[in-house]
Amino acid sequence: MSTIAIIGAAGFVGTRLVEVFCLGGGAQARPVVRQFKSLARLSRFQLDCRMADARNEAALTNAFEGCDAVVNAAVGDPRMIEGIIEPVWKACVAARVRRLVYLSSGSVHGQAPTQGTDEMTPLSDQQWYWYNNAKVRAEWKLEQLRKTRDVESVVLRPTIVFGPRSRWVWDAAKEIANGRACLLEGGKGICNTIYVDNLVNAIQLAIDKPSAAGKTFLVGDEESVTWRDFYAPICQHLKAAEPASVPAREMTAIREFSLVEKMRGISGMQKVLPLIPGSLKRAVKGALSGWSEQETLPWRLRQAGSIELSSEMNALQQCQWRLPYKRAAEELGYRAPVSFEEGMRRSVAWLDFAGFSLAR
Amino acid sequence: MAATTKVALGVVGCGAITEMYYVPTVRELERAGYVTVTAIFDPSTERVAKIGAQLIGAKQFTDFSEFVKSAPQLAIVASPAKFHAEQTIKLLESGASVLCEKPFASNVAEAEQMLAAATHTKRKLAVGLFRRFFPACNLIREYVAAETLGKVIDFEFSEGGMFDWPAQSGSFFQKKTAQGGVFLDLGAHLLDLMLWWFGDPSSVEYSDDAMGGLEINSVARFEFANGLRGRVQLSRDWELPNKYVIRCERGWLAWKVGEANRVEIGARRSSHTILGETLEDRSSAANYAESFVAQLLNCIEATSADVKLVVPGEEGIRSLRLIEKCYQRRKLLPMPWLTEAEMARARQLAV
Repeated sequence: MSTIAIIGAAGFVGTRLVEVFCLGGGAQARPVVRQFKSLARLSRFQLDCRMADARNEAALTNAFEGCDAVVNAAVGDPRMIEGIIEPVWKACVAARVRRLVYLSSGSVHGQAPTQGTDEMTPLSDQQWYWYNNAKVRAEWKLEQLRKTRDVESVVLRPTIVFGPRSRWVWDAAKEIANGRACLLEGGKGICNTIYVDNLVNAIQLAIDKPSAAGKTFLVGDEESVTWRDFYAPICQHLKAAEPASVPAREMTAIREFSLVEKMRGISGMQKVLPLIPGSLKRAVKGALSGWSEQETLPWRLRQAGSIELSSEMNALQQCQWRLPYKRAAEELGYRAPVSFEEGMRRSVAWLDFAGFSLAR
Repeated sequence: MAATTKVALGVVGCGAITEMYYVPTVRELERAGYVTVTAIFDPSTERVAKIGAQLIGAKQFTDFSEFVKSAPQLAIVASPAKFHAEQTIKLLESGASVLCEKPFASNVAEAEQMLAAATHTKRKLAVGLFRRFFPACNLIREYVAAETLGKVIDFEFSEGGMFDWPAQSGSFFQKKTAQGGVFLDLGAHLLDLMLWWFGDPSSVEYSDDAMGGLEINSVARFEFANGLRGRVQLSRDWELPNKYVIRCERGWLAWKVGEANRVEIGARRSSHTILGETLEDRSSAANYAESFVAQLLNCIEATSADVKLVVPGEEGIRSLRLIEKCYQRRKLLPMPWLTEAEMARARQLAV
């Protein structure tokens, strides 16, 4: 049985990939994580986990020893996204790994790609969202390294990956439950979904298919899904009304990885928070958010605040193009084994498993 | 008021709990003249040096026998749970009193040996269940006992999120070194409060998602002789509400995990909720950090004078007994996203 190293194994996609390998056989998963705390999610199974910082070539080389393939499913800030490409590649070469599968993103084409976009469409690193630019630069770095042909590599570009432990499902449910959910012009924009098991299927094909080497593939669900379609099963599960319809806004650039996100990422932060007085926490949060809330006079009518889409959602829901997976179908033999409907059924069932309905 | 004689304190284990909680606690009590930290131990030279740099004057040991020979009067045992029994018993036999971190031990049998050693040596043995020092938890206990909002009907406790403790080793996550997952780790605190507030349940149902390893999600249901029912959910996987809700005949109480001095109170026929903050007084800790200090102070006073321990070993073993009982009745949690074939394999691995 071959051994597959997984970088980012404790993330949403990585967790499911490990689960599929452990419960479905076929290959042996070797999770590679940076911090001890990331072992928590992986500890349900008896696994040969390895510790390595994905920017440390020597540590990665040790971790990849004896592996047939490596899946890079790491997430992080821009420096992380771009910074791990080269050390991972070099470690694959040093450890004689046959194939590297890199999980890029459909976001390299922007949140609302233009009509006709496919794998051949030129990319730009001057987009409005830092994440898109980081993923583009990461792909470009990999493209340069690919020229050496030392390792076979495959790039996959999924877009809205949903399923158990997906932020898309959880955040939508939270917004719906709080009465804060909204859809741009009724949610008619295209939501380029891929259920996590379909992505896992694409990863397995990308590992195995000899002719996939050196290629990049967009991957998605079988069905064409709108944002309204995406929210509907969650609303139904929560017995909530359809979200309000809002008009489109101008896109606001998200240039930087926010300071609040950086703070959240600090190890042990959640354990230290109880030690900090609530008033101080609120003050710091306000300061970090740039004091965005305007000072209001006390003489005001209490009413529900206006609902608006986040900048990312405002852009995503303007999408009018369904990213095609024709190339993946033809050259990888990719078919989405799980329908959108079934993927959603499993996702909302996970909401209950994850305690969404518990008293808050 | 500071004690007249300072207690010689030793610290066993220089991991994250010591670094984040015990070091500031010990320094405060040292400053106030209650203790002198005389010795610290950890098998890792690096960790012992790191903590040693913050506890100036303490002798640094990487050999446990040598640490014991330094004869501390009171020792904090904050090492991984699998070492608790062996280290605690050796310390008790050397004449030291012990504050042992939770979980009290790897299993009930070990905990019983620890209790026997404490009885035999006539030393004090406390368990680090510091939430019992939270004013909020004491208030809930009083309200429940006095039936202030009427009899308790049911409760729903949830605790946990994506694991974020800055663990210094992988021992937390390996079955051979950690005898349980989230239910043993967070469950030790949660079940201790449950037992303290409501007493022992008459029946238990338990399920988790361990598939050959350690559980990261678990659900337990309890019934009590008086008809009270409760549900407990713990996770190292996904953010839970982290709220304990207790429904009574005339209203409800809710406590947010970690909020040492705040309790939500609601009346049954009212849509309004009161968020109450306990007022500081001399007899209780005012907040989270002070509760930690109060816990160690209680152990110091119990060591040097005839003061009763707030959480003696006999109390600490109760939650461990219940955890073990739950593990014995363990079923696999249904995971609705798994295919039938995957679930069948999961059942095989879970055995």
